[in-house]
Amino acid sequence: MTEISPMEEWLYSCIRCGNCKYVFKGYAPSCPSGEYFNFESYFASGRLWIAHGIQKGELDWDPSLIDPIFSCTTCGNCEVQCLAPHREHIVEMIEELRHLAVKKIGALPAHQKFAERIESNHNPYGAEHHARTLVQEHSLPNMASIVYFIGCTSNYRENEIRDSTISILQKAGVDFTIVDEHCCGSPLLRTGQVDEVTELAEHNRTEIQHTGAKIVITSCSGCYRTLIKDYNRLGLELDVEVVHISQFIRELINEGKLILKKSFEPLQVTYHDPCHLARHMGEYEAPRDVLNFLPVDFVEMDEIRESAWCCGAGGGCKAAYPEWSLETAKTRIEHAVETEASTLVSTCPFCKRGLADANNDSMEIIDLCELVDRLS
Amino acid sequence: MDIKQRFENIVGTKYVSDGLGERYIYSFDMTENPPRKPLLIVMPSTVEEDKKIIELANETLPPLVPFVTGQNVGGLTIPQVEGAVIVDLKRMDKILEVDEEAMYMVIEPGVTFGHVKRHLDKHHPTLRYTYPLAPPYTSVLANALVQGLCDLSTTHGSMTDFINGLEAVLPTGEVVRVGTSIMGDGNWFARYPLPDLVGLFSGWQGMTGIVTKIALKLWPKKKFEGFAALFTFGEHATTHLIKKIARSGISEDLDSQSLSIIKMLLKVPYPVKHFDGEPDYGTVIGYTANSEIELNEKFRQLQELVDTAKEDDPRIVLIPWPTVVKLMGDQANEWIDFPSDAFKVLAEHDGLTWVGTYIHPKHWGTALDGGRKIVEKYGFELMAFMKPLNILHIAEFKFIFRFPKDEETIDRVRKCCEELLDFALSLGALPYKTPIWSAKKVQKLADPAFFELARKIKKLLDPNNIMNPGRLDL
Ligand SMILES: Cc1cc2nc3c(=O)[nH]c(=O)nc-3n(C[C@H](O)[C@H](O)[C@H](O)COP(=O)(O)OP(=O)(O)OC[C@H]3O[C@@H](n4cnc5c(N)ncnc54)[C@H](O)[C@@H]3O)c2cc1C
Ligand code: SF4
Ligand code: SF4
Repeated sequence: MTEISPMEEWLYSCIRCGNCKYVFKGYAPSCPSGEYFNFESYFASGRLWIAHGIQKGELDWDPSLIDPIFSCTTCGNCEVQCLAPHREHIVEMIEELRHLAVKKIGALPAHQKFAERIESNHNPYGAEHHARTLVQEHSLPNMASIVYFIGCTSNYRENEIRDSTISILQKAGVDFTIVDEHCCGSPLLRTGQVDEVTELAEHNRTEIQHTGAKIVITSCSGCYRTLIKDYNRLGLELDVEVVHISQFIRELINEGKLILKKSFEPLQVTYHDPCHLARHMGEYEAPRDVLNFLPVDFVEMDEIRESAWCCGAGGGCKAAYPEWSLETAKTRIEHAVETEASTLVSTCPFCKRGLADANNDSMEIIDLCELVDRLS
Repeated sequence: MDIKQRFENIVGTKYVSDGLGERYIYSFDMTENPPRKPLLIVMPSTVEEDKKIIELANETLPPLVPFVTGQNVGGLTIPQVEGAVIVDLKRMDKILEVDEEAMYMVIEPGVTFGHVKRHLDKHHPTLRYTYPLAPPYTSVLANALVQGLCDLSTTHGSMTDFINGLEAVLPTGEVVRVGTSIMGDGNWFARYPLPDLVGLFSGWQGMTGIVTKIALKLWPKKKFEGFAALFTFGEHATTHLIKKIARSGISEDLDSQSLSIIKMLLKVPYPVKHFDGEPDYGTVIGYTANSEIELNEKFRQLQELVDTAKEDDPRIVLIPWPTVVKLMGDQANEWIDFPSDAFKVLAEHDGLTWVGTYIHPKHWGTALDGGRKIVEKYGFELMAFMKPLNILHIAEFKFIFRFPKDEETIDRVRKCCEELLDFALSLGALPYKTPIWSAKKVQKLADPAFFELARKIKKLLDPNNIMNPGRLDL
């Protein structure tokens, strides 16, 4: 948490004009939560007003507040559409409200499991911790100029993202290694369990420091946001440059270090902006630049970039509200199907998981790293 | 079975809530009007569900408050009695029909201005609707029922004048239609002949039933459109010139406001002050034509009227729109393209309210002059809005307030609004989208026979008083 509480700072700000409900001037729905749950309380303004009510003592903590507070993917689309002075702080306020809710009512059982598993296994899936065994498997050095921070979802669920990233880095002759990483803390931060994160961040910082690396690459948009933005907020700067893999691949291609296949693949791809990479961190171009380098046809969906529809998996919602999360992902797949592309590409393992779960074979769903690995 | 379960049986469990968060959020709006928590919120999606909700309410007697987005700026969706059920209609969001030949659309309550604009631009680009300076996602149907004022009001009157007919579930559960659609679907082209029963629903703030469909007039878009900005000084001189322009019929829309509002659009930070020597009012003048020659001629006539006024006050300026865009940037075009997009200047704080009235044109200047002094006395920003309606049969007199909702400011807002309204009433004005506090004041001064009649009609239509009871202090 920052020292000045955003809830306090923006107490008298949301007019409940509802502009955050739809894409400004595009008029397509913007808030996956409000769109599904419908009540005013499930749009950004509802959450801000619950925060307001709590802050002013007009609303008591009550278990019935849990759903409106936690069924938000923290996608940040509302921040783009809102025209009021507090717009850049909406997600911060929602996260602060969640932090308070956890203190007062306790974390949601699904979210509590994240914390327990991270404590026991260093990842929210409770999978057997094995980050360092990859070092032997891939004959990686102990010291290197670059650390590949895999992220739990790539490492324990969407392994092909991890493997294709390693393959790309090796093909390009990059001097990198892997550390004994613990969960970056993103699942805890997004679900109001902030207090547990400092220890994780400190561990990761120490591990990275031991390699002497100056750059950390991550193929997870959630880790990317957390390692930069959240660690900074917590006063735990890593003292290294954190780079998203899409940015790194663009550089490798530009410098001629990664050679792409020349022959054109008869593949039409479209791209889904992950909220954590795009809206939260402002990176819209790198993945598109890479796609434009590749020998494929790249077509855009209608709702993209700042106004992209969320995949529904973030903010702890896939675990706590699976049905809604799935519906949200289905909508995104429908957007992709409308482009007539055969392949939906993303740059976040969590988006891939969410979208894949909602897919009824209408599309191939892959990560940019997999596509690049396939075409290099 | 408790009442919540019975509502759930009608609309499904997902669409009923008595959660504390929901009850809190639906208990207030952006205005200073006092909050009251509803018992629960229910979200129907069909006429059949609306009917069942009303039937259940007649049996169990919880009052029903129709709601779409609650942005009427008059506290009109805040329950006035304990135990009310908010009927949130935003799931009924279909544009059912656009008739290009008779130029009307039939829509459900949840359809918003933004969605109408998108639909017409995409599928019926030769037609347009009338747009308010409201957030784009507010109900078109509700605004027509509460007599809203939009960017075709100077020519065609309030949004209620756009109604061709409607369908409603009466407080006793019957589904009725008024207007030519009583002859069947696809036939919503007129409100008359026969008794004009639209009046049983417009201005009633949800007290006489749930309107489930409404047919609204669309207008052909002319090929050429022009805009200009007029800057004027003094209340009497400004209204005098605006009246002349309105009566000339040159302009389709005249949107006059305190200069502060233009300064807000230019990003002058809160609180915006007025400085001596600055113009007092800025007016956006819209005009359309079938040819460029006609358009240029209209501007020439406009210039002529302004030049005559300049003989009395040479400081008056009329600026053609391309110059305005150079001065203001793209924002200027946003305003004219879709006025809703420019509402952002009103979203500075969590509070917004207004005293908005229809006033006799002869009192316009006096009202504005006196109103300004009252607003200045209370230390608020000067945000007058005025629009001539139906050419100039009616004048709109309104002051808007944007304010943080802390207790001290709310108190000051209330006092200022009361004084403003007292003053407007003394000039024979009537408040529109009438909050309860102002309805009370009107009833003290107005002919009691009118309110007696309104009470009788309400009782006849709603014997159990289940529809939004307490509104207009009836
Ligand atoms: C910043 C701002 C600027 C605005 N500027 C303008 C402007 O320039 N011009 C203008 O005209 N308006 C303006 N408005 C007001 C607003 O746009 C309208 O009043 C609005 O369109 C009404 O829609 P709503 O969704 O807010 O209705 P609600 O507030 O939900 O409902 C309004 C009233 O209608 C009743 N009602 C709703 N649905 C039904 C139904 N189906 N059957 C029966 N009764 C029903 C409700 O009970 C209530 O009494 C502005 C509002 C804001 C916040
Ligand atoms: S968050 Fe912003 S856009 Fe949404 S209701 Fe509040 S002020 Fe309006
Ligand atoms: S962050 Fe996303 S889900 Fe949450 S309120 Fe904003 S738009 Fe809705």
